[in-house]
Amino acid sequence: MLRRFRLEEPESVAEVSELLGRFGESAKIYAGGTELLLAMKEGLVQYERLINVKKLTGLSGVKLAGAAVEVGALSTHHQLEDSPVLKEKLPALVKLEQNVANVRVRQAGTLGGNLCFAEPHADPGTLLIALGAKMVAEKASSKREIAAEDFLVDAYETALEPDEVLTKIHVPVPAASGRSAYLKFGYLERPSVGVAVAFNLNGAVSGVRIAVGCAGPAPRRVPEAEALLEGKSRDEALGRIAEAGAIAGKASQAISDLHGSQEYKEHIVGVLLKRAFQSALS
Amino acid sequence: MQFQKEVEILAPREKVWRFIWDVDRFIACVPGCKEAKTIEEGKRYAATMVEKVGPFKVEFPTTIEVLEREELTRIKAQASGADNKIGSRMKLDLDVSLREQGDKTVLGFVAGVDILGKLAALGHGIIKRKADQVLDEFAQAVKAKLEGEG
Repeated sequence: MLRRFRLEEPESVAEVSELLGRFGESAKIYAGGTELLLAMKEGLVQYERLINVKKLTGLSGVKLAGAAVEVGALSTHHQLEDSPVLKEKLPALVKLEQNVANVRVRQAGTLGGNLCFAEPHADPGTLLIALGAKMVAEKASSKREIAAEDFLVDAYETALEPDEVLTKIHVPVPAASGRSAYLKFGYLERPSVGVAVAFNLNGAVSGVRIAVGCAGPAPRRVPEAEALLEGKSRDEALGRIAEAGAIAGKASQAISDLHGSQEYKEHIVGVLLKRAFQSALS
Repeated sequence: MQFQKEVEILAPREKVWRFIWDVDRFIACVPGCKEAKTIEEGKRYAATMVEKVGPFKVEFPTTIEVLEREELTRIKAQASGADNKIGSRMKLDLDVSLREQGDKTVLGFVAGVDILGKLAALGHGIIKRKADQVLDEFAQAVKAKLEGEG
């Protein structure tokens, strides 16, 4: 059962930040509520105040901003599945969003909420790391960008300071030769393993970025696996993909749990990396 | 969940043994442990364990019972506690061993931890990792404290 709490309805990001600073751990931002309210109903977390950010303007929707796609943190997964800008520039993200959880979660849940809750089995963080996304964190008086790979620190932990608010996600627009894919696998409600790959294909494979998620506490970029493929021809890279997969498996920090054993998850990382790479090539 | 850990401490066994029974100093090495009290010298103790994973916070008022004690060699203890706010229980079986190795003492822990109730919803993997971290920090803190004293 949900316990009593006070609902704050700030009208600006500065006000949200001020409330977070003032009430500390007894307050939490409430956006879509798809994770937060479940945890509160279960009694796993209790807050005296929820800071409703749904009414803030200008933090939802997708637009092109220079060399980046700017995604408002309050955009719901459903909005992202349907975004013409994303469909044109970042089809891998659209495909990911189409497959996040279920239709009810996609209607209410926001990308920003998903990232800030940092549930280990969430999809978007992994692909955003591969795409080189940056998170825009704002306070009343300051604003900074945090690389996606530095943002997701640990299970349920982000790099946000207590009074910082995630407002936007900047994803660089891929080059015309840019390729990317995200694949996941699982047999429970949430995925056991998620793997993302992004690179440019100009004869050779370059700018390779690989990330693995869901298997461990937080998604991780795998520079050792990227280096194996970097600058290689398509066929050479394909020849090395199994080795890259084994490295990525180890780097995933896979945890044995109901979603599968550590060895199993490490193996699946390899399988998915190969398939994701092939799918991005085709 | 089973955990095993060994830490080599550059200190004589007697000193390590005395340290373990010095509740206030010893408890200061357990991450998240506060308000330690001796209920019955050498037998029963009480403490509150506070742990956090992201926004999830548990507070277990815990009683610790020493079941076996073999002078300078081994302690077997059991601890249990419940967080009624979250509706979770924790049970810990602890086997501590001391062994001399040259001028060092090897302090070994075998811990069996059971977490029951809603907290288990966080997932076995996350809790195991957390418990592992706690044990690791604890072992390092004991080492730092004993070796730091020269």
